[in-house]
Amino acid sequence: MPEPILKVDSVTKCFGGLTAVNNVSFQVQPGEIVGLLGPNGAGKTTLFNVISGYYAPTSGSITFKGQDISGKQPYTLATHGIGRTFQVVKPFAGLSVLENVVIASFLRYPKRADAERHAWQILESTGLADRANLSAASLTLAGRKRLEIGKALALEPSFLLLDEVVAGLNPTEADRTVELILQLKQQGMTILIVEHIMRVIMNISDRLVVLNFGEKIAEGAAAEVAKNPLVIEAYLGEAAA
Amino acid sequence: MKDKIIRWGLPVLFVLIAMPAVIHDTFFLRVVTEAVMWIGLAIAFDVLAGYTGYLNFGHGAFFGLGAYTTALLMMKAGWPFALALPMGGVMAAVAALIAGFPTLRLKGAYFAIATWALSRAVQQLALIMDITGGPDGMRLPPFLNPQFFYYLMLAIVAATFALLWYLLEHSPFGLKLKAIREDEQGAMALGLNPTKLKMQAFILSAVPTGILGGVYAYWITFIDPASTLGDLISDQALVMVVFGGMGTLIGPVIGAILIFAFKTLFWAYLSDFQLLYLIILGAVIALSVVFMPNGLWGTLGGFKKKKRDHENKLETSLEARLQKNEGE
Repeated sequence: MPEPILKVDSVTKCFGGLTAVNNVSFQVQPGEIVGLLGPNGAGKTTLFNVISGYYAPTSGSITFKGQDISGKQPYTLATHGIGRTFQVVKPFAGLSVLENVVIASFLRYPKRADAERHAWQILESTGLADRANLSAASLTLAGRKRLEIGKALALEPSFLLLDEVVAGLNPTEADRTVELILQLKQQGMTILIVEHIMRVIMNISDRLVVLNFGEKIAEGAAAEVAKNPLVIEAYLGEAAA
Repeated sequence: MKDKIIRWGLPVLFVLIAMPAVIHDTFFLRVVTEAVMWIGLAIAFDVLAGYTGYLNFGHGAFFGLGAYTTALLMMKAGWPFALALPMGGVMAAVAALIAGFPTLRLKGAYFAIATWALSRAVQQLALIMDITGGPDGMRLPPFLNPQFFYYLMLAIVAATFALLWYLLEHSPFGLKLKAIREDEQGAMALGLNPTKLKMQAFILSAVPTGILGGVYAYWITFIDPASTLGDLISDQALVMVVFGGMGTLIGPVIGAILIFAFKTLFWAYLSDFQLLYLIILGAVIALSVVFMPNGLWGTLGGFKKKKRDHENKLETSLEARLQKNEGE
């Protein structure tokens, strides 16, 4: 087995008396798409925030490419090669779509002209080029989610955290985003993805990790996990299991 | 953008340089000198207010610190003006560094209140200390050469404008500040360190302000806590920036010229109604926030941009329709 790109090792995150993530461990191999599943409030976004540096873990550690990154700041992790999107999208609303991506491009291309050239490439590949000069505030939800992915990709990450980039899109838009994610996988990108839409996550993930009440209750291939009584119970209730 | 600045900026600069040779009226020169100073204060204020999104109600403290530093070094330490002046900028930078650590963690109104309170504290210090002369202020040796001060003020403000234009409109720094202004959390994910960027912006805003304070002290030859450390400097810079257009460099220049011209005319012709000036100033700021949130320049530029956006959108939808037709 090759060296995992990400190692989450018994990570716990508490907010006061509430344990949002409890002793969760899993690994992600290079080139893999791992889906993070769980009912509302299971701790998926908290775990994302811990991995991407927005929260320091209360205990446990996170190793990225063999280096302990627990408690490092998000902007440091971006330089290490971790890109992320936000469930509640965070466009720089007062700036143009192009400027949004240019800002992200500065990480790898400190010169403005180079950053702009790179940003145009990203806009082309994410299908936003025709809206480059519009204000980011004028984008539809689908456009904003696309912009989130574009900004994360502009960082040229080796590992991508996608937080519900499909939810809220209509079927056509959703298919286009899934296509984009599969394209990235083909290019060798490693992805950890949170998604509620089962059709999407079952199809694109190589492996699933399921959380409930902050704890990992299952891990494995999609078909296996779907049959796991604990998972069925978490989603459908005790009687169904 | 670069061409535009050179096409418009150079002739304006030329007119300003040639002006004293043509107009010999000392009062007029004095008014223009002060107007130029306000342009400098307004654009420096906008670095933090418009580009970074932090309203600094302690901006005037940088001005006062620069004025007092220059005055003290000249009067108590016997330094020449040429050496004492840059120290005004250094002092302002040190003050920004000290004040920035606790206050730049705050947001919105809390930052405004904290910086206002700190600037009050600085004013109180100047009032109670012996070395500053307390409420009586300080007198500097008169150097009665209006042209010298006009050209010095002009050189400093023109250099500040050029530096800010380069950093904020040309280099990546300006866009990074705007990212912080729009969404600090989102900016962090893109590799931006908000603490560092905000501190840099704070210092960039403080240094020219402190230097302008030093020039002001030597020019007016008398400073006291009320005139250099009072609220009015921050308040007036704020009005100029909001009225002219936050987050741009041209907006504050226009705002500074218009507000200062209004103030000068008001004092020249309506000085019996001094109280009215502040009331009108308050009304202008309230009205422009409600009806012109992007200021004069932003509103004018906004029309152009809206039109362009509209055209872009039309094109896009046309293209989409054409593609659809082809598909069928």
